[in-house]
Amino acid sequence: MNWQAHLPALLLAVPLLGAFATPLFSLGGKTLRNAWFIVVSTFVFLIALALWHEVSVSGILVYVMGGENFALTLPSGMKYPVRIILEIDALSAFMVLAGSITSMAGAWFTLSYMDRFTGISRFISLYFLLTVGMLGMMVTGDLFNFFVFIEIASVASYGLVAFWRDKPQAVEASFKYMLLSQVAAMLVLLAVGFLYGKYNVLNMGALGSVMQMGLVEKFALAMLFSALALKCGAFPMYLWIPDAYAEAPASVSCLLVTVSQASLYGIFRVAFSVYGLSMTNSVVAWAMIVLGLLSMLIAVSMAVVQHEVKRLMSYHAISQTGYMLLGVGIGLLVLADPQALAEYGFTAIKGGVFHIFNHAMYKGLLFLTAGTLFYMTGTRDLNKMGGLIRKSPITATMFLIAAAAIAGLPPMNGYASKLLIYQSSFAIHPFITVVALVTSVLTLASFVKVFQTAFLGPEHKALVNAKKVPATMIIGMGMLTVAILLLTFFPTWALSNLVEPAAKALVDQAGYIAAIMGGAF
Amino acid sequence: MWPKVVSGFGYWDIYVWLIFLAIACFFTMWLRNTGRQDYKEGTYQDEIYFSGNDVPEDGEDISVPADSAYWGFTKFFRPYYDFMALFHNGLAQDYLGYFVVFIAILTALIVFI
Repeated sequence: MNWQAHLPALLLAVPLLGAFATPLFSLGGKTLRNAWFIVVSTFVFLIALALWHEVSVSGILVYVMGGENFALTLPSGMKYPVRIILEIDALSAFMVLAGSITSMAGAWFTLSYMDRFTGISRFISLYFLLTVGMLGMMVTGDLFNFFVFIEIASVASYGLVAFWRDKPQAVEASFKYMLLSQVAAMLVLLAVGFLYGKYNVLNMGALGSVMQMGLVEKFALAMLFSALALKCGAFPMYLWIPDAYAEAPASVSCLLVTVSQASLYGIFRVAFSVYGLSMTNSVVAWAMIVLGLLSMLIAVSMAVVQHEVKRLMSYHAISQTGYMLLGVGIGLLVLADPQALAEYGFTAIKGGVFHIFNHAMYKGLLFLTAGTLFYMTGTRDLNKMGGLIRKSPITATMFLIAAAAIAGLPPMNGYASKLLIYQSSFAIHPFITVVALVTSVLTLASFVKVFQTAFLGPEHKALVNAKKVPATMIIGMGMLTVAILLLTFFPTWALSNLVEPAAKALVDQAGYIAAIMGGAF
Repeated sequence: MWPKVVSGFGYWDIYVWLIFLAIACFFTMWLRNTGRQDYKEGTYQDEIYFSGNDVPEDGEDISVPADSAYWGFTKFFRPYYDFMALFHNGLAQDYLGYFVVFIAILTALIVFI
């Protein structure tokens, strides 16, 4: 067995080691601690990159934890897998890549952004734990472990959202998030219990192979969908997001975007790989479409009137999640109809999946630029900002790139993914496309407001001594800017090598099951 | 053939767009250069015209704050935003209530349809 076979385990082991070894490295001083933070984050990104490459070349990877053979999912005499199994298909690898990039960019940004605060050792530990939870959700092939990783990510994020614990708003935001998130997590556990009680298996592939729609399965589906919809921030359960994202330090908000997308991935995995064609009606698909539309429109309408920059961006994060739900929901709606799937369903899924990566990059960057504005001025209130382009033209340029991308302006990457969603949603009903287009227009209006009030106009006297943006913060933002520009100028490469394999993996329920069950399937 | 993003209904070609942008930039610059030639940087021509009044020293006094942006839009949709303010009331128990109602509706739909 070659070393690449251990990449799935390394992906989780390295940031976990990072989390628990950080206090030790902190004893060696700030420089050593920061170097450790960057080295581990970079290493996680490199593992994710290698994992994506390995999946592109070899197909689905499975890794059996604690077994005598890491690749043997069904030891002789076993009918179902019983061990903890990591299963990485092209969709998982795609998600992991997006998550590791935002985690690395956030780590660079953190170095200077959080430098003036105490407790950074704890911050870094929690940051790595959040990364572990997020990556674990994306690579696990087991429903119970999915719940465990949700909990790891959740507990870490409660601590990070309330990191500035002297601010009552931060503590309140964390408490609300904790309350809602824990109820949702208990529902996930309950649903897992329902399915385990019925089928005696927890592995998603194995469950998919035996799934037959009955009352228990329907209840479990409703609970899993509702809980993960809350975690990813779909209407009407998104209300914790504006508070949590706004109060968290900027690098945490950047990472929380992909953590929420891990829950979105959970919805897609459950809907396509566990239930798939055994779903007897289209309620879940329509729920995804309707929730997507409502999330898009209502959240963007709320964003337009905000004057607090991170809160405004939080509403946009919800709104953009709507696009992903819409695109993949359309694909799910026509999953059982090969002709419709080929004509527009698969295009919609590609649009939704592409938007996940795009969103992770530009929304991550927007949160980092918002953090930079806060770092420079000491306020998040747009009413108190102005003329900051003179102080940091680099930040302004990167903000402009991210804003153009999120608004779906051609030629940015956001336009390419939205185009796929617009055109395929038109096949379902033109009204859906109109809502998506109106959302884009309002998104643009909202970011024009931010750019005009924060960066343009005359210089404010109160901001004459605005802080200079440190190099590490620019490096963090620069990484995401480069990713956006690459996706913008090479959309065909991204679609062929990143998006299409991921979308194919999503609709290929048989392939996902066969990787676990092999001949038993 | 240049690579394209094909949607099944049409296609998107980044390079065609970039060529279009380059042409648009060329014409914009050309139009700009046909403007007044007597402009001199650093002279009275740079001074801000503020309806004949003295220009305030602090830039904040002549900035349009974020709250004032799209005031017409906000005013028109005031009833909607008043309702949304009630929805976003900040009370965790209400947020939990919305979640419970959502689960109930979705479960009913999945089970009974």
